[in-house]
Amino acid sequence: MKRVIFIAFLLSLSFAATSSAQTITVGFTVSRTGALNVDSLEQYRGFELWRDTVNAAGGIKAGGKSYMVQFASYDDESNSKRVQQLYTRMILEDKADFLFSPYSSSLTATAAIVTEQYEKIMLTTGAAEEKTYKLGNQYLFQMFAPATQYLTAALDALKARDPKATVAFVYEDASFSVAVVTPAKAYAQQLGFNVVFAEAYAPNTTDFSAIIDKVIASKATVLLGGGHYADGSTLARQLYGHKVPLKMVALLVAPDSPQWSELGDAAVGVIVPSQWEPQSTFKAQYGPSGADFGKAYSAKYNAPPSYESAGGYASGLILQHAIEQAGGTDTAKVAAALNSTDLTTFYGRSKFSTVASEHGLQVGHTIFLAQWQNDKSGALVKQVVWPLAGKSADLKYPIR
Amino acid sequence: MILRRPLLWLILALAALFVWLPLRNHDVALREDLILVAVAIILTSNLNLMIGYTGYVNFGHIVFYGLGGYVGLYLATVLNWNLIVAALIAGVTVSVLALLFGLGILRLRGAYFALATIGVLVAVQAFVANFEPWGRSTGMYVSFASYAPLGGARRALWITYYLIIGVMALSLVLSLGIRRSKFGLGLFAIREDEDAAIVLGVNATVYKAIIYSVSAFLPAVAGALMFFKNGMIDPSIAFEYMLSLEGIVMLMLGGQGTVAGSALGGALYERLRSYLLTSPRLSEFHLVIAGALLLLVVRLAPGGLIGWLYRLVPRSREVVE
Repeated sequence: MKRVIFIAFLLSLSFAATSSAQTITVGFTVSRTGALNVDSLEQYRGFELWRDTVNAAGGIKAGGKSYMVQFASYDDESNSKRVQQLYTRMILEDKADFLFSPYSSSLTATAAIVTEQYEKIMLTTGAAEEKTYKLGNQYLFQMFAPATQYLTAALDALKARDPKATVAFVYEDASFSVAVVTPAKAYAQQLGFNVVFAEAYAPNTTDFSAIIDKVIASKATVLLGGGHYADGSTLARQLYGHKVPLKMVALLVAPDSPQWSELGDAAVGVIVPSQWEPQSTFKAQYGPSGADFGKAYSAKYNAPPSYESAGGYASGLILQHAIEQAGGTDTAKVAAALNSTDLTTFYGRSKFSTVASEHGLQVGHTIFLAQWQNDKSGALVKQVVWPLAGKSADLKYPIR
Repeated sequence: MILRRPLLWLILALAALFVWLPLRNHDVALREDLILVAVAIILTSNLNLMIGYTGYVNFGHIVFYGLGGYVGLYLATVLNWNLIVAALIAGVTVSVLALLFGLGILRLRGAYFALATIGVLVAVQAFVANFEPWGRSTGMYVSFASYAPLGGARRALWITYYLIIGVMALSLVLSLGIRRSKFGLGLFAIREDEDAAIVLGVNATVYKAIIYSVSAFLPAVAGALMFFKNGMIDPSIAFEYMLSLEGIVMLMLGGQGTVAGSALGGALYERLRSYLLTSPRLSEFHLVIAGALLLLVVRLAPGGLIGWLYRLVPRSREVVE
C-alpha cells in the first residue's frame, strides 16, 4: 500500500511539473574566446540576468501558463565560420523556440541566414549595421539604434553649440566604424559643416603622429571617429600629447569602457555615442527601472553594466513582453506582437520597422552622447549630455 | 593509371558517404557539421600540394579562399550570375592571380618564401579593404532574394553542400593524380633538393608557379560557395590568418605529403574542435584540450597519423598514399 501511495505521489509530482511549468528555450552564441570576447560577455550577462530574474518570479506568464526560460548557448569563437553550424544545432537539436543574435554585425548577418530559413524569431543586439535588415528578412528584430545614428547625434549636438565648427573624421578602417562614419560625413555636409579632413587608419595602428600632423594642418576644431578600445584610447592619448587644439572629440566604443578613466587628463571631455547609460532616466512602462537594473547587475557581477549588457537584458524584456501579448510561444503570433511593439523600458523606447524593405530595423531607440567630465570632487565620470531631454550634465564645449 | 589506385575508389566512397549520410534522415545539423569537415579537407589537401609535395610552407593559403569568396559573391549576388559559373570564374581568376604572385615570390626559398606568403595575405587584405565595389571594410551582404534562383535559402544550402562535397572529392583526386604523375615527381624532387632537381632538368620556377596556382583553384571555388552560404563577407572573416595556421596544423596532424593524411588531418581536427565546442562538459576549455592533443601528436608521431600507420603496417603505403 505504501508503495502505491509513493508511486501515486511521484506521478502527481511529475504531472504537476508538466502542467504548471513549461519551458521555453532561447538559443544564442557567445564569443567566449576571440576578439569579441569582452563585449560579447557583457551582452551575455544581460541575457543571464534577465533569465534569472524571470525564473525567480515564476517564469513568463502568458495565456494562463508559465514558461520557465532556459538557454542553449555555445562559444562561436568570435568567428563566423561556426555560427551557422551552431545556430542550426540550436534550432534543430536543442529545439530553441527563440533566438538572440551573436555579438557583432557580421556574426549576426551570418546567423540570420539560418534563422530566416527556419522562420525563427531572432532579436538582434550588439548588431548596429543596417545592411542586414535590408535584405528581405521577416523575423529579425534589432534592439540597437542603427549605426548611422552613432555620429549623427554628435553632429546634432555640435550644430546646436557651434554651427561654424570645422570637422575632421579619423576612424578605423573596419566594418563598424566605416558603416558609422560614411553616413556621418554626408550628414555633416548636409548640416553645413566644413569637413576639412577625413582619413581611415589601419586596425591595430599604434602611432597616430602622421595623422595628427594632418589634423593640425587642416585646422579642424572637432574630431570624430575612432574604432575599438585599443586604437581609440591610443588616439586620445596621442591627441592630448600633441596638444591638438580641438574643441570636441567624439570616439566610437572605446570611451564607453570604465577603463577609459585610466587615461587621466587625456580622457577628459571625450564623447562616446552610447546605446544606453546608467544615468538615463526613462520611465519604464515595463520591467525594472534603470536604477534597479544597475543595482541587480552590479550585485551579481561586481561591475557596472555597459550598454551591451543593457541591450542584452532589454532583448529579453522585449521578447517576454511579446510572448505575453501573444498569449503563448507561437512564432507567428509572437512575431506579430513584436511588429506592433512600441514600448519604453529602462533601456529606452523600442519599436521595429514594419516596412518590408527594412523589416526589423530599430526605429524607436535613439543614441545617447556621454562625455567624460570631472565631477565636483575632481573624479572622472561619464555624464549624459545628449539628447538634452535626458541629460545629466551640460556638454562641456570647448573641452579646454 | 590513377584508375587502378585503390585510394581513388576510397575517395569516391567517402564523397558518396558524405552525400548519403545527411540525406538519409534529412539531417540538417549533420550536414552543417559535415560541410565544415569538407571545407577543412579541401583547404588541407590543396595546402598539401605546396607544403607536402613541394616543400614550400605557405602561411597565407587562406588568401585564395577569401579572394575566391569575394569574386564569387560579387558575381553571384551583385551581377546575379549562376552560382556554379560564378564559383568557377572565381577559381580561374584566383588561379591566374596566384600564378602572377607565384612568379614573383617563388624565387625565394625557405623562411623567406614563408614570410612572403604572409605578405601576400596582408597586401590582398589591405587592397580588398579599400576596394569600393566590394564594399571596402564593411564587405558584401547576400540578400535573401539571391537564394531565390536556387529555390529559396533552404534548398540553396543543400545545393551548396553537394557542390562543396564535389569540390572536396575533386581536391583529393587532384592530389592523387599529381602524386602519380611525372609532374608530381618533379615536385618531390624539388622538395628533396631543389638544386639537384634543377641539374636533372626540372624547371623549378615553372613547376613551383604552376603548383602554387593549381593549389589556389579549388580553395577559391570552395570560398565562393561557402561565403554565398555564409550570407556575408568582409575582409576580417575572408582573410583570417588563424585559418591559415589551422590548415598547417591539420596537415601536420594527418601527415604531410600524403593524400589520405591531408584528408584525415582535416576531418579529425575539425570534428575534434566541433565536439569540444559543443560538449557541455569540455566546452569551457576546448582550446586547451585541442592544443594539448596536438602537442602530443606532434611529439609522438612527427610524421602525422599516416606516418604512424606506415610504421605500424608498412604495406599500408600501397593503399593509403
